[in-house]
Amino acid sequence: MFDNFLIRKDSLKNDVDAKGAVVGFQFAARNANYRGVYLSLHNGYYIRVDGVEYPREFQTFEINGRAPRDFTQIAKCVWEHWDFDDEGIVHVRKPGGLASGEHTIDFQQSVLAAYGYLPTDEEWVKNPPVPGSGAGSDKTKNIVTYHLTLNESEAGRV
Amino acid sequence: MSKIKRGVSLYSYQQAQFFKQLDLEGQIREVGTNLFGADGIELLDEQALRKYPHPDPEFFDAWYSWMDKYHTTPVTMDVFGDVLQFRDHVQSYHENAERLMSDIRLAKKMGFKNVRTLATCPVEVMILALPVAEECDIRLGKEIHAPIPLNGQYVNEIVDYVQKTGTRHLGIVPDWGIFAFRPSEVTLDWYMRHGAKEETCRLVAELCMENHTGKGNALKDIDLSKYTAGNVESSFFRYLKTHDTTDDLRPAFDLMISLVKDNVKDYTEIDFEVMAQALLLSRAKAEDLRELMPYIVSIHGKFYNMSEIPSRPGQYQDISMDYEGPIRFLKEIGYEGYINSEYEGQRRFQDRTEEYLISEVDQVRKHQEMLKRLLEV
Repeated sequence: MFDNFLIRKDSLKNDVDAKGAVVGFQFAARNANYRGVYLSLHNGYYIRVDGVEYPREFQTFEINGRAPRDFTQIAKCVWEHWDFDDEGIVHVRKPGGLASGEHTIDFQQSVLAAYGYLPTDEEWVKNPPVPGSGAGSDKTKNIVTYHLTLNESEAGRV
Repeated sequence: MSKIKRGVSLYSYQQAQFFKQLDLEGQIREVGTNLFGADGIELLDEQALRKYPHPDPEFFDAWYSWMDKYHTTPVTMDVFGDVLQFRDHVQSYHENAERLMSDIRLAKKMGFKNVRTLATCPVEVMILALPVAEECDIRLGKEIHAPIPLNGQYVNEIVDYVQKTGTRHLGIVPDWGIFAFRPSEVTLDWYMRHGAKEETCRLVAELCMENHTGKGNALKDIDLSKYTAGNVESSFFRYLKTHDTTDDLRPAFDLMISLVKDNVKDYTEIDFEVMAQALLLSRAKAEDLRELMPYIVSIHGKFYNMSEIPSRPGQYQDISMDYEGPIRFLKEIGYEGYINSEYEGQRRFQDRTEEYLISEVDQVRKHQEMLKRLLEV
């Protein structure tokens, strides 16, 4: 659900570190559900930009006024809530960032929220699913493709 | 004149909230001022509340001031219970019940009368939380949602427990989707935009209508009574990808796949999903409600798409489900609780651009027109 609206259209920017080096890119994302969830359930993204995949290990997530955290840290936020109204920022490590112009982004969010106990529960504790397999994305089962233009009016910060 | 009361689940306005067109107060104002006397408010804690599970102290004052200002009343709070919250282990029933008890206390603080759990919330968890429900005088109701039937295990175990103990704080929240007899036209349109064949859509509607009218019985022996619609859909999707599923689901899944293979030219994977829509129906009968009356906490007025009734301007219906029959029956047996509109068709337009999004406000107004009309007959 909210298929075409999960990434804010003007939010694709390059990320610049404290020394001024372009270290990656970012975009703003919403919860692909009709509700918020405890942040720990948030299991990362399938992100492919112009044909290049950026696995979860290259991603961090910024929410609730905190500095970006990787998904090992996010999994430990068992009492912090990601409210339905709030936008989070997905940061992706890519030295040099993205080139100017339009980019094709294939996107799927994985959140391990479901309807009660499921046969996959124990497995997902041991081996959380890799985002993009459809697992943990029951409200937006298909990978969604966005065509976004890099917003160069301001740099993102990490 | 029926004593059945009308309300709205703010679930209906999820899209308006997502796009920041209506905040919580705006949603309550809409219910209180534009729905010809509806006054019941139902909401989902994790959708409606900022800083769940501990809203700011000021929030509660604002909440009660909105109830006064718009002449509305809190009816049911819908809660969740994600069992992987702790990530390093699956929640025990005790842990899951802790969450439920905390939600019950939150509901009490907001003046709600009822708390709705998911259909898949184990009855053991509800029983663990029951002392807190009793202390707070909150009725705890398990949602009975398609494809779960009214006469299956999920309902029976609640009825048994209530009969054994006499508690009046445990019951069910039937979701009107159990009276759906075919997939909604907006669901089928969505599938066609995603490459499903028109023939498959025609076929699934025909299969469902034949079962509904008694001309066919291909769906009769399928029992998915322990699954929610969301779980059937994601399990089927997984089965198509991995050929892996549980033994009770496999025959139903295989039947849907063979119906497509035998009848649809140039089918693709999505045509299987369209046929699987037939598995999401409970095909419940209004009469099934009779013996359940004492256990009904409140009712979700689920709907998928309101359209004008041909040659009856200003009057609306949902062509995929029976409202007239069950409402007549509920009046007959003297139901006095709430029916809360719960609109679920908005997601079927969200694959398109903004100008094609549907107005939830308009859909709920049309649904309330229908409810009011049928209740006053």
